Amino acid sequence: MIAIPYLTALTTYFSYGLLFAFGQFRDFFRKIFDWCSANNLQGYAPICLGLEDFYIRRLYLRIQDCFGRPIASAPDAWFDVVERHSNDNNKTLKRTDKISRCLNLGSYNYLGFAAADEYCTPRVVDTLKKYSPSTCSTRVDGGTTVLHLELEECVANFVGKPAAIVFGMGYVTNSAILPVLMGKGSLIISDSLNHNSIVNGARGSGATIRVFQHNEPSHLEEVLREQIAEGQPRTHRPWKKIMVVVEGIYSMEGELCKLPEVIAVCKKYKAYTYLDEAHSIGAVGKSGRGVCELLGVDTADVDIMMGTFTKSFGSCGGYIAGSKDLIQHLKYACPAHLYATSISPPAAQQIISSIRVILGEDGSNRGAQKLAQIRENSNFFRSELQKMGFEVLGDNDSPVMPIMLYNPAKIPAFSRECLKQNVAVVTVAFPATPLLLARARICISAAHSREDLIKALQVISRVGDLVGIKYFPAEPTKQQQGGKSVKFD
Amino acid sequence: MAKLYVKAVPPADLNRNTDWFTYPGVWTSYILILFFSWILVLSVFGCSPGIAWTIVNLAHFAVTYDFFHWKKGTPFAEDQGIYNRLTWWEQVDNGKQLTRNRKFLTVVPLVLYLIASHTTDYQNPMFLFNTVAVIVLVVAKFPHMHKVRIFRINADK
Repeated sequence: MIAIPYLTALTTYFSYGLLFAFGQFRDFFRKIFDWCSANNLQGYAPICLGLEDFYIRRLYLRIQDCFGRPIASAPDAWFDVVERHSNDNNKTLKRTDKISRCLNLGSYNYLGFAAADEYCTPRVVDTLKKYSPSTCSTRVDGGTTVLHLELEECVANFVGKPAAIVFGMGYVTNSAILPVLMGKGSLIISDSLNHNSIVNGARGSGATIRVFQHNEPSHLEEVLREQIAEGQPRTHRPWKKIMVVVEGIYSMEGELCKLPEVIAVCKKYKAYTYLDEAHSIGAVGKSGRGVCELLGVDTADVDIMMGTFTKSFGSCGGYIAGSKDLIQHLKYACPAHLYATSISPPAAQQIISSIRVILGEDGSNRGAQKLAQIRENSNFFRSELQKMGFEVLGDNDSPVMPIMLYNPAKIPAFSRECLKQNVAVVTVAFPATPLLLARARICISAAHSREDLIKALQVISRVGDLVGIKYFPAEPTKQQQGGKSVKFD
Repeated sequence: MAKLYVKAVPPADLNRNTDWFTYPGVWTSYILILFFSWILVLSVFGCSPGIAWTIVNLAHFAVTYDFFHWKKGTPFAEDQGIYNRLTWWEQVDNGKQLTRNRKFLTVVPLVLYLIASHTTDYQNPMFLFNTVAVIVLVVAKFPHMHKVRIFRINADK
């Protein structure tokens, strides 16, 4: 539920309508010119239908300098952003030798493991010497080392499940698992804002897909009742199995899943639950075990738990945790296990080491400090942004906080102005978000210091005034705290 | 006091080509675009209000027929072609018929037709053009015209 100024909604539609009209106008004349010139397809079908890449050609290329910026250092709290220039209106971007030292508000470096770590990095270097950069094999072919077995046991213990299986790529963890578990005659009920990997995995499974409104357990119950009553399409036979797919933290919203309510609905109607903790594992919870720990849900109540190592653990890949029978079935049937290269041994060691740091098994309390730091940083940053009048989505304790921009012209304006002030932010727009709800997504890290956050708040406040994205009245400054409060305006 | 803020709920619709129509402000934007188009036609061509409404009605007919009932697919490659056989009208609201948005989009050409005909005193040839436009648009929006291709017009090749 997002509150939008009505005039902003109207101007946003007008802006997108204008961009769309100009794009279609240019495509119309392009068709005329192409029709006049020779048709040399020689019987081949075109690679791409004209409409399929319309968005890329006519909308995205105009502001592609705001996306995919290359960096030249580890994505720590501060990093080096490579400057690019274009002489054909962003159609092509050329890198220069210059770099900007920027404050990193865009990486999913929740616990600060993206840069060198005193405990993890020496062990990774040792593993690199002992094993190899890659096994160059699938898990069933020669790509299993003692590290892989140790990692699976470590992950299963960490998330609180009997067994786990690890893959080398986070996206594939979703897109390859769902076709194995669900098939024809099954039903997948998906949150409307689930990640594209879940969407593509669900589509690839051949199961029927239904969508419930984002984070609305009441609508989920409505959809479940309706689908169970109707049965399969045309034949109306009962479904073979039903699975509800939700995420722990939604990456575009920063919202935590309403997991206790969802589990209650699924237990009532005997549906399986699939929890994608790509962003929440390691980042929330007292000991970093994710939304189950944070929201007080027993992990035995969640049937399948998925997560990635690319965010809080500073590595790559993903995992599926569940019962022993489930994991054994996946090891027999999952193409990501049978055909894909196994996770790199140094990457596996990085995950094992970071989990040990989080659990305090490295002999210090740095893990607990990191978790407390990210919680404190997130809540501080979110409350200050809201006080300044920004529309900030998401829940408390969530390290993802989108700042709403709405108008398409404000997306490049905000991104470019922040980069001028050496603050690197990630802007997200349609079609990654709904048309009306373009945003800048801030990701807080435990590596950010209080001074870093204050500098970021000052820059964002200044740019927010310049661009006009403070849609709510600012909270009045308390006079009695004049000496203590930090002035951002 | 005008309502300054409206609530936006993310729709339970995975189609990026049609879910924008479920957000608040779309109907108002649609009507405002038609009204400002009328103002623009009045200013540019300097004709009578009736002729201007007829031009707006015919332009609305051409644009909405092309984009709602002729063009198929979505402008995003991520959809992997699963909507390539469907027009925008067949994609909207996941194909569910008689929704609020479909009713609104059916009423707009009718109201435009009434305004254009009334302001031209139901005189030919404007009346004929307006009538043909509204009949084609409204027939294309009937529920039982869902995925129907008359004489294979605009059918998949």
